[in-house]
Amino acid sequence: MLRLVLEKTLNSLIANDSIKLGSLEGNTIALHVLELDLSLYFVCINARIYALEAQQQSPDVDIRVSKSVFLSLFQGKSFKHLLDDEAVEIVGNVKTAQALSDLFSEASIDIEELIAQHTGDIIAHQLGRALRFTKKRSNSATFGVFETLKDDLSALLVAPSRSRFFDSGAK
Amino acid sequence: MGRATHFGFQQVDAADKQGLVKGVFDSVASNYDLMNDVLSFGAHRLWKRYTIGLSGVGMGDKVLDIAGGTGDLAIKFREKVGDTGRVILSDINGAMLEQGRKNLIDRGLVDIEFVQANAESLPFEDNTFDCVSIAFGLRNVTNKDAALAQMHRVLKKGGCLLILEFSKVDNAMLEKLYDFYSFSVMPKLGGLIANDEDSYQYLAESIRKHPDQETLKQMAMDAGFAFCEYHNLSGGIVALHKAIKA
Repeated sequence: MLRLVLEKTLNSLIANDSIKLGSLEGNTIALHVLELDLSLYFVCINARIYALEAQQQSPDVDIRVSKSVFLSLFQGKSFKHLLDDEAVEIVGNVKTAQALSDLFSEASIDIEELIAQHTGDIIAHQLGRALRFTKKRSNSATFGVFETLKDDLSALLVAPSRSRFFDSGAK
Repeated sequence: MGRATHFGFQQVDAADKQGLVKGVFDSVASNYDLMNDVLSFGAHRLWKRYTIGLSGVGMGDKVLDIAGGTGDLAIKFREKVGDTGRVILSDINGAMLEQGRKNLIDRGLVDIEFVQANAESLPFEDNTFDCVSIAFGLRNVTNKDAALAQMHRVLKKGGCLLILEFSKVDNAMLEKLYDFYSFSVMPKLGGLIANDEDSYQYLAESIRKHPDQETLKQMAMDAGFAFCEYHNLSGGIVALHKAIKA
């Protein structure tokens, strides 16, 4: 679900020119969040970004961060400071990693509660918040927030295995 | 017999399969939506909604829905692409396409295009679509590798293919229940409601002959897709494969 929200929100913002892929175009980036046992594999191609679950080929850049650093990426914390603090482990082009960090920062997704230890209402609430934010950033009057939210909640209903990530956080 | 393939549990000549599948879908077309609701207890709507959710389709996109049948995915895609986008519903079966056309007209949707086409030889230019979908259709295609290669061809770079299809159940207990339901209940319901037990026997058999999740993923990669992942839905009764063209 986290991947789905990230992917949808980022693509909505890209489609509305609120953010740009820029130098990320054509790159694949693996992002591992250590304490959460979470690996996201971002594929940036033709002005779209896909957030896949499994690494399928060697990424151009491999990033390893802690949970707190992962959160800070969405809160606009300076990537340079994170590097200086040795809080980010990068294999590959640092500038590409920086570009992904910048993209997250510009998207301003409230990620914190999305990775909280609960499922159900909190997810629904956060999906709503993330998508309302997207709606606010979007100039398109036809952007179907409610429909998108329904799609995403349906995803949770039919794919309980998707909640594995959240379950593991509750232990 | 020429090159052999399966039609349910039967071995048939590959050249004959298309006609046999046509017979099944000619027979079920008029009751297709009703039977989907009954046999899946409505879950097919959630599976399709999940597919739409993962499609990433947005305003202005071009979408091809292969084996689109009665049009339920195409209707959802139309909402996503808006007036600036384009949705084409294709199906090899004329009866299913006609049913889809009626459904869409009943809903006031007149700008979805219909194309009767074989998935193994799609009549579209290279690099045309942002998204290609095929829901519960691939298992009926005779040459799946050829169809996947065609889907790859017509997708734009960065476009994604979505394959929603029955798959391999990932839980032994559920598998036993599912087998009982598929072979003992489903054909009977098909007989009772649609007066067509044979078609629903074929449905159960064709599901078991369809490649499992990992095999289909590899087939997509072999067809040229750079990335492919799958999502098991309802314990693997259905899987959604999402493949990306680079």
